Amino acid sequence: MLIRVENLVHIYAPGTPLARAALRGVSLEIGPGERVGIVGRTGSGKSTLVQHLAGLLEPTAGRIRLDGIVAHARTAAARAQRRRVGLAFQYPEDQIFEQTVFREVAFGPRNLGLEDTEIATRVHWALEMVGLNPAEMQERVPFSLSGGEMRRVALASILAMRPEVLILDEPTAGLDPQGRRDLLARIRAWQQETNLTLILISHNLDELARVVERVVVLGKGEVIADGPARQALSDSELLHAAGLDVPLPVALLHALQEAGWKVRTDRLLPEEAVAEIAQARGFSEKRP
Amino acid sequence: MQPFIQIQQLKHAYPLESGGQIMALRDVDLTIEPGEFVALVGPNGSGKSTLARHFNGLLLPTAGQVWVDGLLTSDPKHLWAVRQRVGMVFQNPDNQLVASTVEEDVAFGPENQAIPPDEIRRRVDEALRVVGLTDYRTHPPQMLSGGQKQLVAIAGALAARPSCIVFDEPTSMLDPPGRRQILETIEQLNTRGGITIVLITQSMGEAAIARRVLAMHAGRIAMDGPPEEILEQEERLRALGLGLPPAVEIAHRLRDKGIPLPPGLLTVKALVRALC
Repeated sequence: MLIRVENLVHIYAPGTPLARAALRGVSLEIGPGERVGIVGRTGSGKSTLVQHLAGLLEPTAGRIRLDGIVAHARTAAARAQRRRVGLAFQYPEDQIFEQTVFREVAFGPRNLGLEDTEIATRVHWALEMVGLNPAEMQERVPFSLSGGEMRRVALASILAMRPEVLILDEPTAGLDPQGRRDLLARIRAWQQETNLTLILISHNLDELARVVERVVVLGKGEVIADGPARQALSDSELLHAAGLDVPLPVALLHALQEAGWKVRTDRLLPEEAVAEIAQARGFSEKRP
Repeated sequence: MQPFIQIQQLKHAYPLESGGQIMALRDVDLTIEPGEFVALVGPNGSGKSTLARHFNGLLLPTAGQVWVDGLLTSDPKHLWAVRQRVGMVFQNPDNQLVASTVEEDVAFGPENQAIPPDEIRRRVDEALRVVGLTDYRTHPPQMLSGGQKQLVAIAGALAARPSCIVFDEPTSMLDPPGRRQILETIEQLNTRGGITIVLITQSMGEAAIARRVLAMHAGRIAMDGPPEEILEQEERLRALGLGLPPAVEIAHRLRDKGIPLPPGLLTVKALVRALC
């Protein structure tokens, strides 16, 4: 799916003393199969933007087109496009309402009019994707789950719709370290298999660096940078201006560079930084 | 000195719809001294929050005993004294704010304890000063940033004059500046205010700022020691579903490449010092 954001403006509570511009003229294009990270401080407009991508909000001005069709329109064609986009919210407890985990995850597929066997297959698959054991979990009551488990169930219910565009708003907040690694690895593998478009909001740039190839930086409702992840996530000036921290490997390389080491700083992953440091170290050891 | 929190043979079971039960805590023995700064880590469902909710009597033991400042939590006549001594700050600041201005929100706890108005005034002013929100006292909490809302929640806890505050993943919803703000405030409450801190976190990097790390697994305390020791044990941490803090991971990989480094490098600063 081709997503086009055209000069999008969103004002909350317009015409009141509480009016607040969340998005001030955002334009961007996201093509099929892209892996895009959206980053910025709290209040920079990230969550508002992704709700627009899913067609959940009506723009104050400008528009979103999903394969050419205006996303928020009240037409069957627009509804069909919106179904291709899955958005997992930041607060999963806000979107869970069914009596059992199975029914919760099956809700979307059931609304698609799928057959029972297909629904069961999808629920099983989606629970495994998020690292939950279907046999153990499906009869549990959602409100008896831990915070991390609830987050996984909410995500499974989006995955079970098999969206073509998957938008995850802080998907790993509250998950344990092993759970975070596994979840992102499985989603990445599924993405490669299906050419899914993956849009990720996260404050954890170390984690983001493993998944996305492009980064959009938002600040006060505007796009302040949009480019390859390697470039954006190693630009400490840009990220600090946006209220973010560079990934830890980049911070280390910057500090070594300031101490006089000859190292590149656009090494986002621990293994890349380690290779860079080992090389620089080997090089300096050959000198007196 | 009397331990601040003392726990013996604590078990906690949650009932299931089907009539059975899930053992969330099995045989926890733990002592926390006054003024300690303890990080509590562990995989989802390992019992961290369940354990922490025993520290102020939000949950009572299915079996075993919990003493807070010498008071047995399962004795109903101690409940308010226990709650006054141990404050809680949770993950989502939006769910903890109740009033229409910052100072009313902070005053909510003391007002419910029937404390005289001028004493409430003093406590609210002091709590706001400690978290640096004095200038925001008449603002509606909804208009604040995530980090500031969390500071309001901390001020609310402080207004009860607790000896200990339990933070249950207080930064997981915050952006990096908000996180820094909260972590710095927590450190100051401990070092300057002498408040006992229990910090539940999923971030191994955050756990590194504590002076003692407890790692939980399947309802038990699996590891207990200073961060320099606990956060180096890659295999054991991975077996518990955890991992290394990012700086320690890099140190381990550098050692694998043959670069000699001392143990206990928990931050970028420490790494740079060791490398240069």
